[in-house]
Amino acid sequence: MKLTYALQTTRTITRPFSVLPYRLTRHLNGYLFLLPAIIVFALVAWYPIVRAFQMSFQEVSLIGESKNVGFENYELMKKDPARKIIFENSIEFASWSILLGYAVPVVVAILVREIRFGKGFFRIVYFLPSVVPVSIAVIVWRFIYDPDSGILNEFLELFGIKGQLWLYDPKLAKPSIVAVMTWGTFGTTTLIYLSSLLDIPTELYEAAELDGASPLMRIRHITLPHLFPIMSLLFVLQILAVVQVFTEPFLFTKGGPGRRETLTPVLHIYNRAFGRADMGYAAAWSVVLVIVLVAFSAFYQIVNRRIAARQEN
Amino acid sequence: MDRGFLSSIELKTLKGRVYYGVTVVILTLLALIVLFPFVYAFTSGLKGSLEVFNSGLNLIPQKAQWHNYRDAWEDFKMLKLFRNSFIIVTVSVLLRLTVSVMAAYSLSQLKPFGRQLVMLAFLLTLMIPSIAYLVPLFVTLGNLPIVHKSILDSYWGLWIPYAADAFGIFVLKSFFDRIPPDITDSAKIDGASSFQTLVYIVLPLSRSIIIILGILSFMNIWKDYLLPLLVISDPERQPITVRLFYVAKDYGVNLQMAAAFMALLPPLLIAILMQRYLKAGLTMGSIKG
Repeated sequence: MKLTYALQTTRTITRPFSVLPYRLTRHLNGYLFLLPAIIVFALVAWYPIVRAFQMSFQEVSLIGESKNVGFENYELMKKDPARKIIFENSIEFASWSILLGYAVPVVVAILVREIRFGKGFFRIVYFLPSVVPVSIAVIVWRFIYDPDSGILNEFLELFGIKGQLWLYDPKLAKPSIVAVMTWGTFGTTTLIYLSSLLDIPTELYEAAELDGASPLMRIRHITLPHLFPIMSLLFVLQILAVVQVFTEPFLFTKGGPGRRETLTPVLHIYNRAFGRADMGYAAAWSVVLVIVLVAFSAFYQIVNRRIAARQEN
Repeated sequence: MDRGFLSSIELKTLKGRVYYGVTVVILTLLALIVLFPFVYAFTSGLKGSLEVFNSGLNLIPQKAQWHNYRDAWEDFKMLKLFRNSFIIVTVSVLLRLTVSVMAAYSLSQLKPFGRQLVMLAFLLTLMIPSIAYLVPLFVTLGNLPIVHKSILDSYWGLWIPYAADAFGIFVLKSFFDRIPPDITDSAKIDGASSFQTLVYIVLPLSRSIIIILGILSFMNIWKDYLLPLLVISDPERQPITVRLFYVAKDYGVNLQMAAAFMALLPPLLIAILMQRYLKAGLTMGSIKG
């Protein structure tokens, strides 16, 4: 009796809405704590998401006045000459990124795991570029790539390779940009693979060793199968990230070097929205881009699951 | 015992040593490549304004021009740029942590009606790439609903968008979920209000995760380019990431390199000093798409 009495008095003292029944107070109290997050998310995420759909059917001026135009923005998109180029560029960017950057963190993680001394050193060194702001790194990298006095051409000359135009070469601009992106991100991915490698029971390697499997066979039959689920996830995440790249092509080449060799979807959206003040059209592009990306990852998941199911049968 | 695909006994055989040697050589070469831009920026920053263009692989300057660093510091107004970045990032991180901790505490401990729906609405923002609503976000910040005011060109235009972090809420909520209910219950019986329970019981218990989230947020917001580029157009108030690139082309390459190197130092130092926390945070933080 005494305890319940004490409980009830404290409750009356500490309840902010003491006139209301206890259950309701708890819910109100809960929403009081949620309120800042709800306001912020509503303002900078939920409302803009809804507006994105709405704006894609409107003509919106820079000061925010809007007029409904139906499907006009989408009709315009069909006629946009940049559409085909952007689509091809995205596929090329994604392919270069997979080619240059996908295997690197896997190999590096396996090798770092093997090191008996100085593991922490390599881990932090490889990670350092990930913390560097892209816009600052671009200042350094564009001088490294400089066709006249950049150190990359000087270095290649040692091996008798003729100097290249790099960022100014329509063919080399994409791989040059992807190389910098790989430099900037592979350290983080390496850390993810490394933490997954620590989960492999060492008994597996011991058993394989006793059975006479060579080190490379151990990697092939124990390490890689263990990493495969994460590799499969990071594959699709890497593609999604590289298709949405903006800062590197914006700062390195402005979509050039010629007309549109490094024009990416986000760069196009930026140009249309803030260069030509065509917000509605840019919104339509965003909506289509997101639908394509979501469809791609859904398709990837389904195919992945099919393959996994077939392997089990 | 700690071992990878090679065992300790194998490491003593010739074949094992070859494997190990190749590993060390590859990793060292890679480390040199990765570190090269930093070293190159540093030494080029010490060269004379014409010397940087000299041909050949001359990494080391003929005569170190240390005054380049002082000149770059003054010409680029680095102090102001750092201060702008610092104000933007620090307030954003504090605001983000406050908002996220309160929301996560409510979802995990107070459990109000309809919380699953709210959580889902938060997580939705992780699934939709932010480019989807970048343009309407800009329009919204330029003309806030209801109050019809613009927070473009003010730091609020960055602080508020950065405060929304569904990932942080999610991580904090799963951390709070693991706090034994006995502890929070006993606080309630002692008469603590929900706010007191949060401040005196839950926060001290989750110091480590809050530090990790704080550092990760600091790094990510410091690095961000597109949002500050759009929101802050006043050159006096732009953060270093936006402003330095813009003014760099007006100066000699040696000064550009010196300024870039100085701009790279703070994030590098934080990464090195805080690596204990980062190691835990990154593997958790990077699979967010």
